[in-house]
Amino acid sequence: MRADHATLLRALSALLAYPDAELRAALPEIAAAVRGASALDAAARDDLVALAEEIAGLDALEAETRYVDLFDRGRTTSLNLFEHVHGDGRERGPAMLELRQRYLDAGLEPRGGELPDHLPVLLEYLSCRDEAEMREMLGDCAHILRALGNTLLRRGSRYAAVPAALLALADAPGLDPDAPTPPPEDIDRTWEERPAFEAPMPDDPRPPRRAS
Amino acid sequence: MSHFLDRLRYFSQPREAFAGGHGELRTENRQWEDGYRNRWQHDKIVRSTHGVNCTGSCSWKIYVKGGVVTWETQQTDYPRTRAGMPNHEPRGCSRGASYSWYLYSANRLKYPMVRGHLLRRWREARKTMQPVEAWAAICADPAAKDYKAARGLGGFARVRWDEALEIIAAANVHTVKQHGPDRVVGFSPIPAMSMVSYASGARYLSLIGGTLLSFYDWYCDLPPSSPQTWGEQTDVPESADWYNSGYIIAWGSNVPQTRTPDAHFFVEARYNGTQVVAITPDYSEVAKLSDLWLHPKQGTDAALAMAMGHVILREFFLDRQAEYFQDYCRRYTDLPLLVTLRRDGARWVPDRYLRASDFADALGSPERAEWKTVGFDADGKPVVPHGSIGFRWPGKDSADHGKWNLEQKSPDGREIALALTQIDRRDDVLDVAFPYFGGTPHAHFPHNDQDGDVLLRRVPARKLQTRGGEVMVATAFDLLCAHYGLDRGLGGGCAASYADDVPYTPAWQQAITGVPAEQAIAVARAFASNAEKTRGRSMVIIGAGMNHWFHQDMNYRSIINILMLCGTVGISGGGWAHYVGQEKLRPQTGWTVLAFALDWVRPPRQMNGTSFFYAHSDQWRYEKLDVDELLSPLAPRGKYGRALIDCNVRAERMGWLPSAPQLGRNPLEVARAAERSGMNPKDYVVTALKSGDLRLACEDPDNPANFPRNLFIWRSNLFGSSGKGHEYFLRHFLGTRHGLQGKDLGEDGGHKPEEVAWHTPAPEGKLDLVVTLDFRMSTSCLYSDVVLPTASWYEKNDLNTSDMHPFIHPLSAAVDPVYESKSDWEIFKAIAKRFSELAPGHLGVERDVVLTPILHDTPGEIAQPFEVRDWKKGECDLVPGVTAPNITLVERDYPATYARFTALGPLLDKLGNGGKGIAWNTEEEVHGLAELNYTVADGPAKGRPRIDSDIDAAEVILHLAPETNGHVAVKAWAALSKITGRDHTHLARAREDEKIRFRDIQAQPRKIISSPTWSGIESEHVSYNAGYTNVHELIPWRTLSGRQQFYQDHPWLRDFGEGFALYRPPIDTRTVAPLAGKRGNGHPEIVLNFITPHQKWGIHSTYTDNLIMLTLSRGGPIVWISEVDARRAGIADNDWIELYNVNGALTARAVVSQRVHEGMCLMYHAQEKIVNVPGSEITGMRGGIHNSVTRAVIKPTHMIGGYAQLSYGFNYYGTVGSNRDEFVIVRKMAKVDWMDRAQRAAREAQLHAHRA
Repeated sequence: MRADHATLLRALSALLAYPDAELRAALPEIAAAVRGASALDAAARDDLVALAEEIAGLDALEAETRYVDLFDRGRTTSLNLFEHVHGDGRERGPAMLELRQRYLDAGLEPRGGELPDHLPVLLEYLSCRDEAEMREMLGDCAHILRALGNTLLRRGSRYAAVPAALLALADAPGLDPDAPTPPPEDIDRTWEERPAFEAPMPDDPRPPRRAS
Repeated sequence: MSHFLDRLRYFSQPREAFAGGHGELRTENRQWEDGYRNRWQHDKIVRSTHGVNCTGSCSWKIYVKGGVVTWETQQTDYPRTRAGMPNHEPRGCSRGASYSWYLYSANRLKYPMVRGHLLRRWREARKTMQPVEAWAAICADPAAKDYKAARGLGGFARVRWDEALEIIAAANVHTVKQHGPDRVVGFSPIPAMSMVSYASGARYLSLIGGTLLSFYDWYCDLPPSSPQTWGEQTDVPESADWYNSGYIIAWGSNVPQTRTPDAHFFVEARYNGTQVVAITPDYSEVAKLSDLWLHPKQGTDAALAMAMGHVILREFFLDRQAEYFQDYCRRYTDLPLLVTLRRDGARWVPDRYLRASDFADALGSPERAEWKTVGFDADGKPVVPHGSIGFRWPGKDSADHGKWNLEQKSPDGREIALALTQIDRRDDVLDVAFPYFGGTPHAHFPHNDQDGDVLLRRVPARKLQTRGGEVMVATAFDLLCAHYGLDRGLGGGCAASYADDVPYTPAWQQAITGVPAEQAIAVARAFASNAEKTRGRSMVIIGAGMNHWFHQDMNYRSIINILMLCGTVGISGGGWAHYVGQEKLRPQTGWTVLAFALDWVRPPRQMNGTSFFYAHSDQWRYEKLDVDELLSPLAPRGKYGRALIDCNVRAERMGWLPSAPQLGRNPLEVARAAERSGMNPKDYVVTALKSGDLRLACEDPDNPANFPRNLFIWRSNLFGSSGKGHEYFLRHFLGTRHGLQGKDLGEDGGHKPEEVAWHTPAPEGKLDLVVTLDFRMSTSCLYSDVVLPTASWYEKNDLNTSDMHPFIHPLSAAVDPVYESKSDWEIFKAIAKRFSELAPGHLGVERDVVLTPILHDTPGEIAQPFEVRDWKKGECDLVPGVTAPNITLVERDYPATYARFTALGPLLDKLGNGGKGIAWNTEEEVHGLAELNYTVADGPAKGRPRIDSDIDAAEVILHLAPETNGHVAVKAWAALSKITGRDHTHLARAREDEKIRFRDIQAQPRKIISSPTWSGIESEHVSYNAGYTNVHELIPWRTLSGRQQFYQDHPWLRDFGEGFALYRPPIDTRTVAPLAGKRGNGHPEIVLNFITPHQKWGIHSTYTDNLIMLTLSRGGPIVWISEVDARRAGIADNDWIELYNVNGALTARAVVSQRVHEGMCLMYHAQEKIVNVPGSEITGMRGGIHNSVTRAVIKPTHMIGGYAQLSYGFNYYGTVGSNRDEFVIVRKMAKVDWMDRAQRAAREAQLHAHRA
C-alpha cells in the first residue's frame, strides 16, 4: 500500500505530464487520488480536480496544443526547474548530475527522455521517498514553484493548481493571485549586471550575480 | 666529527621550513578542492565543433558526465603550422563557448510536432483512408486551407515519430504522383558546416527526383565577380596566410567580429610588420585594429577602388613599367588579349574578344576556334596563346590535347611573349565610348555629373583582316587605361592629374565617397609598392559589407582589378580574401556522390534559390525596378523588355539558368506521353516545347499546376534570417498573416511582364506541406506544418571544413540525441523508409524527364560563342544543351528508395567520379568502402557497400575524395595532367598512401591533401591560397580566355554596361515614398539606408535566442543609428523605434552611437521574431524581423549561361539575393504593445466559454 503522499505526488506528476491518450484515460484515477488526498485542503483538491476535468473535457488535440503552447515554448513556464535557477549557466550540468546521482542513490534509474530536473520526474522520485524528504525538497524549490504557479495564474491556466498543491505539501506560502505582472520596463532592470558582492535576497529565485 | 649519523640517508624531511623560513609543506585535509573538482568533473571528453556557417570550424572539447554535457572548452591540439608561422590554436569564440546551453534549453525542440489544424484533418481522414489517399483528400478539400492560414500562430501538438513520418511520406508520394517529383523541394545551406547532415536530405530528394535549392547565391554570399573573373565559385587564402602578407586592406570585412577565431593571425601579421588598412563606413571593430581607417559612404566603395586603380595604372604601368606587374599581367590576365571595336556612328564601342575563328586560317588552330582568344606577339603579329577554353575540351584525336595550360606558347609550340599595349604599333587612335553611371542622381547618394552618361576616350587601335572584313582591335590593356581616364598623350577627355575631376581620378571619387583624394592615393601607392617589392604579397580581405549590394560585382571587380594589376592573385600572402559563408567543402567530390545520389541516378535536380524564391514568393509581382534603368547608355532601350523576371524566364528557356518546377506538367506524365507517342523522349519534349503544347513552368509560376508543393527545410532558418522579402514569403508562399504594405503591379497599374502569365487574385499558400528539422524553435519552425527535432552538434557524427584553415573537423555524438531528437541522417533515412513502404500502388519504377541547364566545367559550357539567340522567338532552333536546357530521361525505382539511400550505388563503378571537369576511375575506392562499411545482404541494393550510419556516410565522403584519400588525389592530378599536358602529380605524391578516416579526425585535426578541385595547395612550405596552382602549375583559370579577366565580353554584360568594372550607385528600390508622411504617430520620420552586417552576439540567427549572448547584447532586437539622425528624429538611446517601408515593418530598440555614419542604420543579421519583439504600429502584428523590410531584386547579368565561365553551376553562378540598397522610414514608437494582453484576453475568453 502506497503512502498517502506517494499517491498524491504520482497524481500531481501525471497532471503535469503531456496529456496524451494514455494520460487522458487515467484522468478518472488521477482525480480519485486527488479527492482522497488528506494532505490537501478542499479548495486545493477542487482546483486539481477541476484541472483534471478540464483536460478530460477538452478535445484531445485542444488539450495537447494548449499544453505545448504552455510548457514547450519559452522558459517562464518551463517545467525544468534548473531552467529557472541556472538557465544559461554552466552550473546547470553539475546540478543535473547531482540530482541524477540522488535518484541513483535511491535505487531509481532514470528512464525516458526527460532530464532529471523535469518537475514530473522529481515528483515521481519524491513519491518513492518519505514525507520528510518530500517536504525538504519541495521547500527547497518553493520559490520556483511559486514563480511558475503565479505565471500560470496570470495566464489564467488551471495548471496553477499543481504548483499550488505542491507549495501546500511543503508547508510553504502559497500562490499570490495578485502577484503583479512584471511590467516590460522591468526587463532592463532584471537584465542588469549586479554588483559583484551583493548578497542574494532571501526570496530571490536568482542566484547571485546572474540575471534571470 | 662528520655528523654522518645526524643526517638521514634515505629520507628527506619536507616539513622543514624552506625559503628562509617563509615556506613550509603541510599535509592536511584537501576535501575543499572537491568543490572545484565536482564542478569540472567529466567521464569523457569528446571532440566536436559547431555547424553554424560561421566559417570558424573550430575544434572543441565537449565534457560529458553521467550522460550529460556539462561544458565545452577550446581544443589546443592542432598540428603545429610550421617554422616561422604562428599556430592555429586556440580557435573558438564566445558564441561557440555558449553552445551547450542549447542542448537543454527551454527553447529546445524535444518532440516531433504537427500543427493541430492539420493534425485534426489528418487523423480524421486516416480513420477511413490509407495514408496517401488521406493526404490527397486534404489537398483536394478547399476548406483545408485553414491549416495554412494558421501557420505562424502556434497550436502545435506532439506526435509520435511514426505519425510524423507517415504524413511526410504520404505527402511526398502524393505530390510526386499527382504534380511531379520536382514539386518536392528542399532547402539546406552550407554543406561544409555539416556535410553528412546536408547529404541526408539531399540524397533522399535526389533519389525521388526532388529539387534542391541553392543557398550561397540566395544568401548573397556568392560573389558573381569570382565566376566572371576566374571561372571559380570562390577560392580564398586560409587565414594563416594573412601572416605572409606585407599589406592588408580589410575592405567591408569586420575580421575581429565575424572571423573571431582567425583574428589572431591579423594581429600577428601586424607584429610581423604588415601594414593594415580598414575600409568600412562605420567605425567597426576592424577599424580599431588597423593602422588607417578609410570610411567611404556606404555603397560607394567601387568609386574608391576605381580611383586606386587609376593611381596604380598611372604610376606602375604608364609613368614607369614595374617589371613584375608587366610580366604577371602578360602571362596570367586577359590584358594582352584583343577586343574588337564596333563602329557606332562617329564613335567606337568595345565589342567582343577577337577569336581565332575570325581569321581565315584560324591562326593555325581550327578546332573550336570560336572559343580561342587572340593576342599580339612581341613582333606585332596576331597569335593564339595556349589556355583558352577552346583548348579545354578537345575531341578524341584532336591536336589540341595538352594545350590547355598557361605556357607562353602558340599551338605550333612556338614561345610567345604577348604585348600588353599596341600604342607604338597603332594604326589609328579611335574615340571609344564607355558607359558612365556615376552621374546618375540618387536621392540619398552623391553623384558626380560629367555632362552625360557616355565617356569618350582615345584608344590606340590596330587594323586586322578577318573573315568578316577589316576590323579594328585594341588590347584589353589599352582599353582599360582609356576606361580609367588615363592620359597617354593621345588627347581627348582624360585626366591630366589626380586633382582633375574626371572619372576615375582620386579627386573624382572624393565627391562620391567622401574619402580625401590624398588618402586614396596614399593607400593605392603603398599597396602596389608593397606588391612590387614582395612580388605580390598584398591582400584584400573582403566580405558581406561589399557583396550584399545590388551592384556587388562592381564593388568586387574594381578591387579585383587592383589585385590583378599588382600581381597578387595566386601568390602566398596576396590576393582576394573573400570571406562570406562557409563555402569551402574541402572533400567536395566525395561528398557530391553521397549528397546528390550520383551513385544511383544522374543528373540531380538543382535550382538556383534566388530565382526560385523571387518567382514563388511572388516578389516579382511587386517589382518596381525597370530593366531599362540598369542598361548601359550604349545599349538600345527596350531591347530586354521592362520586367526583370522576363529576363530570368528567357535565361531558363535558353538553358542558362535552371527551372523549378521545370515543365508545366508532371514530368512522369510527360515521360509516359512520350512513350505513348513512340517518340524518343528528348525529341518528344523538344517538339512539344516548340509547338507550345508543353510550356516551361517558369512562364506561369502562379498557376497551381506549377506550385512547389512540399518543402523541406533543414540546417536553416529560411523564413527567418534567410528570407529576403519575409512578408512576401508569408503571404504568397505560406498563405498566412503578413505585414506587407505595398501594392502589386496589378493593383497599382504597373507594367506587367511579357513572358509571365498574370493571375488575379494572387496565389496565397502555394505550399501544401512545410517540414522543418531543427533543434530550436526558430522563426522557420514557427511557420512550418511539421517540426522535427534534430540532434544538435554534440549529438551526431558529421564532418565540417572551412575556407579559413586546411583542417577537417568532426562533429561527434558526445551524448545520444536528447529527448526524441534524431540526427538529420536518421530522420531522412526514416522518411525514405516510410516513403518506400507507401509507394507501391502509387509509384513503381517510373521514368522522369529531367531538364538541366548548360553546366560550367562540362564540354557543354562552350555553347553560344557570339550572339544571344532565343528559340522561342524563332531566332534559332531549339537544340537541347546548346540553345536550351539539356533533356534527360531518368529511371527511378521508388519502392527501392530506402534500399538505395542506405547503399552505395553502381554508377560509380561504371561512370567513375570527378568534378570541375576532371574525371577518374573509382572502382578501387568502391571496393575499399565495401570492406570498410560491409555490404548489403539482400534486396535491391544487394552486394553494394552499406551506408547505414552517419559514420558510414562520413567514410564514403572521406574515401572518395582526393582531399582525404591520397590515392584518389594522385589519380585526380594525373587526370588533370592529361588535359594540361603538364605533370601535377608531384603535388600529392608525398601523401599518396594516406587515407584520412573518421576516427582519425576525432583523434586530432588533420590537414587535407592537395587536390585539383581547388586552386591552392597544402604543403609544408606554403599556406593555402587561391590561384596558386594557376600561377605555379600553369593550370588555366576556367574562363573563356583561360586567364583572369578584366574584360567581360558577353553581349548581356556589355549591354548592361559592365564590360569593364566601374562605379554604379545603389539602385532605387522605391519602397519608401509611398508611405512617407502617410502613417503618422506624432513622432518625426527620417529615412535611412538599411544595412544588415554580421553580428557579434550570434551567428546569423543562431545564438540570438541564447541567454548568454542576449545578456552580452541588449536582450532583444536593436538598430544602430547615428547621433545626428537620432537628434533629427527625437530618438534617445534605448528608445523603441519602428522601421518600415512598403515591404513591411520591424520594431527594435535604438542604439545611438557615434560609430554609425549619418544616413544609415545598422541592424545586425539576424534577430529572431520569438525574442522580446513587441507589436508594430504599422502592421498591427508582432514586430517583424530584419527581412521584413527587404525584398530581393535580381540582376540580369547574373542570369547569363552557356558561355564558358558564365555557365550555370549549383551555387556557382546565378541571381543573388542582395538587400543593402534598401531604405526605411525610422521613427520613435508612440506605444509599445507587447500584444500579450490581447492573447491573454482571448485565452481567458476561451476559458470562460469552457466553464460555461
